[in-house]
Amino acid sequence: MEKIKFEHVSYSYDHETNAIDDVSFEIEEGSYTAIIGHNGSGKSTIAKLMIDLLERDKGNIYIDKMELCDETLFAIRDKIGIVFQNPDNQFIGATVADDIAFGLENHQVESERMQEIIDRFAAKVNMTKYMQSEPTKLSGGQKQRVAIAGVLAMAPSILIFDEATSMLDPQGKAEINHLIQEIHKENKLTIISITHDIEEVAHADHVIVLDKGKVVMQGSPVDVLKREQQLIDLRLDIPFSMKFLKELHAHNIKTKQCITMEGLVDELCRLHSKM
Amino acid sequence: MPIAFKDVSHIYNADSPFSYVALDHIDLEIAEGSITAIIGETGSGKSTLVQHLNALLLPTQGELQVLDQCIDSKQKPKNLKQLRKNVGLVFQFPEYQLFEETIIKDVCFGPKNFGVQEEEAIQRAKEILKVCGLDDSYLEKSPFDLSGGQKRRVAIAGILAMDPSVLVLDEPTAGLDPQGAKEMMELFVQMNRVYHKTVLIVTHDMEHVLSYCDQVVVIRDGHMERACGVKEFFSDIRLLRELRINPPAVIQLRERLRSEGFAIDPSIIDIKQLAEAVASEVKHHE
Amino acid sequence: MNNIALGRYLPLDSVIHRMDPRAKIGAMLLLMIAIFIPAGYTGYMVIGVAVVLAALLAKLKFSFLWRSMKPMLFMLVFLLIINILIVKEGFVILQIGSFAVYSEAIMQTLYIVIRLMLMIMITTILTATTKPLDLTLGIEDLLKPFQVIHVPSHEIAMIISLALRFIPTLIEETQRIMKAQASRGVDMEEGSLKEKVMGILSLIVPLFVSAFQRADELANAMEARGYIPNKKRTRYKQLKMAGKDYILLLISVCILAFMISIQLDILPFTVDWI
Repeated sequence: MEKIKFEHVSYSYDHETNAIDDVSFEIEEGSYTAIIGHNGSGKSTIAKLMIDLLERDKGNIYIDKMELCDETLFAIRDKIGIVFQNPDNQFIGATVADDIAFGLENHQVESERMQEIIDRFAAKVNMTKYMQSEPTKLSGGQKQRVAIAGVLAMAPSILIFDEATSMLDPQGKAEINHLIQEIHKENKLTIISITHDIEEVAHADHVIVLDKGKVVMQGSPVDVLKREQQLIDLRLDIPFSMKFLKELHAHNIKTKQCITMEGLVDELCRLHSKM
Repeated sequence: MPIAFKDVSHIYNADSPFSYVALDHIDLEIAEGSITAIIGETGSGKSTLVQHLNALLLPTQGELQVLDQCIDSKQKPKNLKQLRKNVGLVFQFPEYQLFEETIIKDVCFGPKNFGVQEEEAIQRAKEILKVCGLDDSYLEKSPFDLSGGQKRRVAIAGILAMDPSVLVLDEPTAGLDPQGAKEMMELFVQMNRVYHKTVLIVTHDMEHVLSYCDQVVVIRDGHMERACGVKEFFSDIRLLRELRINPPAVIQLRERLRSEGFAIDPSIIDIKQLAEAVASEVKHHE
Repeated sequence: MNNIALGRYLPLDSVIHRMDPRAKIGAMLLLMIAIFIPAGYTGYMVIGVAVVLAALLAKLKFSFLWRSMKPMLFMLVFLLIINILIVKEGFVILQIGSFAVYSEAIMQTLYIVIRLMLMIMITTILTATTKPLDLTLGIEDLLKPFQVIHVPSHEIAMIISLALRFIPTLIEETQRIMKAQASRGVDMEEGSLKEKVMGILSLIVPLFVSAFQRADELANAMEARGYIPNKKRTRYKQLKMAGKDYILLLISVCILAFMISIQLDILPFTVDWI
C-alpha cells in the first residue's frame, strides 16, 4: 500500500530556480527507501516539505492518502519522525532523559507514564547508562542515538534520516546505520534515508536519485546501480563491489552482479570452489 | 626535517582537579614534502597535536621544531607571525570562519594580516581561487551566497593564499559528497606535488589515507602508536583490528578472501592488483 | 573559567541539594526581603547564622563561598573610599592633616558589606545546590499564577533552558573560531586599532552566522518533534514539595517576621544588646 505520495511538487527558496522541480514519487508502506543525490541536489528539501517546515509552491503531498494542508498538518507531523544531520542542533533537552521526553511532552503524554517510555527507548538505542548525561559529554554518534530514541518514543509510522550520519566518525556512522537496519527489521516502519553514501543504497528496497531538484532515476538498488556512468555523471559513486567486479571482468571472468561486500565475497567463493 | 616533536606532552587545565592529559610524550618526525595522514579515534588527541604546529597551543612539556622555529612550554615563539604564516592550519568546517562581504576580501584577509600588500594579496587570491575551482566571476560575490562545498573551498583558499609551506587540515572532507571529497583531496595532492607543500591531514576516511597519503601517524589515547608508510600500515592487519579501524574496502575484501582460503599476497593494497590476484586464483581452480 | 564560583552548580549530595527548587527560590526571596529591612546587626546575625547553617548542610566549603564574593571586593573598596570622602558623622577615628575619617563612614560601609555578603552567599547556595534546569522548572512553576495576566511562564522557561543548553556549545564555537582566525594572522593583543576592529569582526560575524543557523535548525527539530508554541504540554520533570521544603519556607518566613518585628519594635523583649 502506498504510504507517501508526491505529485508534481515544486519548491523554490529564491523564487528563481526550483530547488525541487516537479517531483513525483510513491513510497510503499513498510519499505526502506534511499533518496540519494550530491550536495545541493535538493534531497534534504524533500524531508522538510513532507512535514511542511517548508511550504511547497506547487503540487500535492499525500501521507496515508491524507493531503498535506493546514488542517492535516499536525496529524501528519505526528506520523513522521525526522532525525536531522547536525547532532548538536537537534538536542533540545538538558540531559538525555529530558531530550527523549521533549516529544512526549509535546504530545501531552501524562507525566507518570513518561519514565517507562523513556527507559524503554533509551534501552533500545543503548543509552541507558547515559540517562543523566548532558549533550557536551556525549559523542556525535551518541547524540544521534538519543535523537533516534526521541523520535521513536513518539511512535511515528514513518522515520526519515536526513543525512543523519554525515557528520559522524566511522564508528558513529556504523552504529547508526546498524541501528537503522535493526529498527527496520523489528518494526513495520516506513524508512526513508536521505544520503550520499552509495554503500547505504544497497540495503534499501527502493532508490530515488535526485539531481537539480528532479527525480532522474528510480527503482530497485540493482536497477539504479547498474547505470554506472550516469551515477558518476551525477557526482555520485558506485559501490566498491561493482568497481571490483569491473576490474575482474577485464580478466575475462564472468560473475553475477553484486552490490554489497557480502554478496561479492559469496560470489567469489562460489567461483573459487567451483572446480 | 621541517617538523619534529620531541617528548611533547600537553595537559589541559594542568594544576586543577579537571586536568586531562591530551598528549603523552609524543616523539614524531614528519618529512618535508610528504602527505601525512593523522588518524585516531575521536578524542585521541589528534586535534590537540595539530594545534601545536602553529603554536595555538604550547606544549606543557617537551618541545617541537617546526621549520626553523622551536616551540616549547616557556613562551610563545618570538616570530609567532612568521610561524603562523608558514604553517597554514585549516580547522574542521572552515566555512564557519568566513566573514567578509566578498569572496576576494575574505581570501585576502590572511595574507594582508601577514603584511602582504593589497595588490599582491588580490593577485594571489585570484590565482589560488582558480586553483580551488572558483573562477573570476565569483570574486565579488558574498561568500554567504555559496553552497556548502564552495564555502569550504573559499575558506581553504584563504589559508592557501598565505602561501604556507606546511598545510595542516583537520577533517577537510567531513560532510562533503563523494565527488566533492575526491576533488578536495586531489587539491591537496596538487598542493603537495606542484607547489611542494608539506601536507598533514587529520582524517577518519581510510579510503583517502590509502589513495592519497604517503605516511600514516596513529594517535591513540594521547600516545603515538605508530608512524609508518601507508603500504606498511595497511599490511598490518593485526594493528588495524587492535585500533578498531575499519580498513578500506580493498583491504577488507583481501582479508575476507584470504580467510576463505584464497591465496592472496597480504601486501596488495590496490584494486587492480587484487582483481588480478583473484582472477588468477579462480582460473587456477578451474 | 574554573575559578568562577558565583552561579556555578556543584554536584554534591545533600539535604539542600535534594530540596524542591521552588522552596529554595521562595526562601531566597524571603531572605532577600529580610535583608533589606534595616533591623540592625542583631537581625543580620540571625540571617548570618541561618546562611552559615544552610551552607554547612549543603556541604559547601567556605573557600567556595569566599571565592563567590571575591568579584565584589573591588566594589567594596570603591564604596569605602566614597563613604570616607562623603560621610562626616560620628566621631573622628583617624586624622591625616586636615582630612578626617569618621566612624559613621566605616559603619555605613560595614552595613552595606554585610548585606551584600549575605545576599551573595544566599544566591551562591541556591545556584550551587540547584541544577540550572531545576531552577528553570522552579521559575516556571512560580510564574504560573501570573499566566492570568498573560505572563508566558512556559515560554520563558523554555527560552532559559534552551539558552542554558547552548551556552557550552557557543563557548566551544567561540574558542574554535578564535583559533581559526588566529591561524589567519589575527592578533588581538598587538596591532593597530583597525586591525583589532577587523579581528573582532572576524569573530563576531561567524558567531552570528552560526548562531542563526543553529537557531534555524533547532526550530526545525523542535517543530518536527511536535512542538507548537502556546500549546499545552505535559511535563516530564514534576516537582514535589516535601516536609523539608515546608520547613525551609517556614524558617524563612520566621526570619522575615523577626526582622519586621525588630523594625517595628513590637517584640516583647529588647534586642538592643549590640
